[in-house]
Amino acid sequence: MKTVQRLLPFITLIILFAALSIATPHFLTATNLSSVVRQTAVFNIMALGMTLIIISSGVDLSVGSILAMGGLMGTMAMSKGQPILAGVLVGILTGGVFGLINGALITRLNISPFIVTLGTMGIVRGLALVVSNGLPVHEIPKAFSFLGEGTVIGVPFVLLLLVACALFVHFLLDHTRLGRYTFAIGSNVDAAIYAGIPVKFHTTAIYAIGGLLTGLAGMIEASRLMTGQPTAGQGYELQAIAAVVIGGGSLRGGEGSVTGTLIGGFIMGLLANGCDLLGINPYWQQVIIGAVIILAVSVDELRKRRAV
Amino acid sequence: MLLELKGVEKRFGGVVALRKGDLSVEAGEVHLVMGENGAGKSTMMKIIAGMYERDGGEMKWRGESVNFANPVEAAKCGIAMVHQESLLAPHLTVAENIFLGREMSNRFGLVDRGAMFDRARRLIEEHHFPLKAEWKVERLSPAGKQLVEICRAIEHGSSLLIFDEPTSSLSEAETHEVFKIVRTLRDRGTGVIYITHRMDELRSVGDKVTILRDGETVHSESMATLSTRNMIRYMVGREVASLYVREPVPPGKEMLRVHNLTSPPAVKDVSLTVRAGEIVGLAGLIGAGRTELCRAIFGLDQPSEGQIWVGDQQVAIRNPRDAVRYGIALIPEDRQKTGLARELPISWNVAMANVPSQYGILNHGAEQDMTAKSIERLRIRCDSGAQKAGRLSGGNQQKVVISKWVARGAQVFLFDEPTRGIDIGAKVEVFEVMDELARQGAAILMVSSELPELLQVADRILVMRQGHLAGELPGRTTQEEIMRLATLPSSGTELEEL
Repeated sequence: MKTVQRLLPFITLIILFAALSIATPHFLTATNLSSVVRQTAVFNIMALGMTLIIISSGVDLSVGSILAMGGLMGTMAMSKGQPILAGVLVGILTGGVFGLINGALITRLNISPFIVTLGTMGIVRGLALVVSNGLPVHEIPKAFSFLGEGTVIGVPFVLLLLVACALFVHFLLDHTRLGRYTFAIGSNVDAAIYAGIPVKFHTTAIYAIGGLLTGLAGMIEASRLMTGQPTAGQGYELQAIAAVVIGGGSLRGGEGSVTGTLIGGFIMGLLANGCDLLGINPYWQQVIIGAVIILAVSVDELRKRRAV
Repeated sequence: MLLELKGVEKRFGGVVALRKGDLSVEAGEVHLVMGENGAGKSTMMKIIAGMYERDGGEMKWRGESVNFANPVEAAKCGIAMVHQESLLAPHLTVAENIFLGREMSNRFGLVDRGAMFDRARRLIEEHHFPLKAEWKVERLSPAGKQLVEICRAIEHGSSLLIFDEPTSSLSEAETHEVFKIVRTLRDRGTGVIYITHRMDELRSVGDKVTILRDGETVHSESMATLSTRNMIRYMVGREVASLYVREPVPPGKEMLRVHNLTSPPAVKDVSLTVRAGEIVGLAGLIGAGRTELCRAIFGLDQPSEGQIWVGDQQVAIRNPRDAVRYGIALIPEDRQKTGLARELPISWNVAMANVPSQYGILNHGAEQDMTAKSIERLRIRCDSGAQKAGRLSGGNQQKVVISKWVARGAQVFLFDEPTRGIDIGAKVEVFEVMDELARQGAAILMVSSELPELLQVADRILVMRQGHLAGELPGRTTQEEIMRLATLPSSGTELEEL
């Protein structure tokens, strides 16, 4: 019974997948599935970074803004004649820098992550608009579209990127000291301090890594749109948080996993896709997704309460 | 009879906090409830005030059997409690706090602020409290907050008022003020229960005294006939002492030296040394500054003055990381809050201060070995190292916390109340672990409020009172000697006066 409950998100995903396969013939096609993968890859990659942050008992509301900033800086570099690879790196590093700033503010000023990133959400969005003058960047080399739309032997390239990022974060969490400290800080920050763990350093590093992943997501988004949009990624932070939480992450910290987050991300992706295919009004989609978040978390809480 | 308790019981999980609580309080009487830390006083009061439900026994209010499910029901009967830690709403004013939950309303059903403030002002004037109705509670000193709670109780016409160690946070003058209020209340026919374990303040307030020890009421007598000597004897008891006695080892070189350490406000000019193989006890009442001394040594608080040596090296400890680097370990008083990551596996807790890794990559095998060794060496009873640490019993949780430092190879151990909340058998096992560490050359400073424990384990005992070191006693001293140093302002002459 316990295992069934723990596997609930995964079972939900399977049921959702099966139901959609039966409900509409347009679902189980290569074109549709690869479009689901492409659509979900952006916020799935963000959600992987968010997983680390949420396990450490933090949250990052500024990832939507950082995504826009990363995409913008990367495409601007390309439009100024930099090679594509350099542009992508610029985008990723931009994300990393803003993540680092978030982490530094949280640990040095000792302000809650919610407040700090609420502030930087506005600041970074504003800066993106200032830098771009509010205008999207269009002069991008054609080949850049490969990042978001290309395929390698029939597999969407973004899927490979997502898998690589997932393995990376999984490795961080399960096989590095940083990952261990992330759980320790999130589970009981006082115990971590008492054990002599450099809490501030590692907290900052966690936000920086989240920023790097968000920067990459920003470049994928830019590649899919073939523009650098200062207004990109609005509301994505909530999608990313929702994915983590549906996958069993707890905002109280100390809990969460890469597989859980990916399952959560795909549940949200399939819901959106299913609603589209079934011709459900997009306004209702928001209602459904919101309800699923609350449902998923309350089921999880119930399981934990019973386990105690 | 206003209130009567007979054989009241309370358990928290496996821990018995109160096993046989008897108490009878008359109207117009100040009844002292005394006992060592952890004797069950606070638990008993919380049952009376409806904050806990009892697991057994009988409670009668004005002769009728009662069972309070929550503090509101107790308050309706006229029972109010002034808490050790303030339970007020800090952002509201004094007047709003006095009427919290029972706001006065006008005929439209709206809160009548004017009437409330008037009433509060009159109340404060009547008792000459140094308060103003408009003040925000967050600005008040601990004493001021207690006065607000007292106002609340008076305003609600309580016929039984419980003071839970009210003077532990008060100054001398404030203490006298509280005593005056207590007497006034008594003269008006209010029953007062007053919890304390400070000898020096008893005679002036109490009519009757009930003494608790290890969760049991052991004695009840009129204050006038009970001598201080007998009171201490009832409080400390005798029988536990035979359970475990440590054989001291000849001490080696000096491992920890603290010189003139001051960490405001709680630690004042403390000097001490601990040598390899030694277990030094640190006794004193709650609030004497023992925990704060450990915090200052461990870098959790910044001392304003003083030096620390570890081995023969003078060290600057700015944070716990520095302390850990110099081989100092703190086993904190509040295990759940600061010692253990309850939701994480035992193995992760064991490895927390010393994660086996190379270039940041974990060595899972080494971690498992480390855990297996710790489980075996400290006899941690668990299913496996993968079990969540929070699922273990109190004693085994404590062993996990200790093993974190053993795995780290710490040499100086600060044990703050190491046996709090764990049962007798596990206590002895914790002592055995401490003894083993000392035998292998560790230096141990052990804070404990349980005097029999200190007598069993410590080679010598330092006693703190109000931030200062009040004296040093040999390990084979008596509980009376410790209590004397811990409670009395100065030398033995004043004991005779009491």
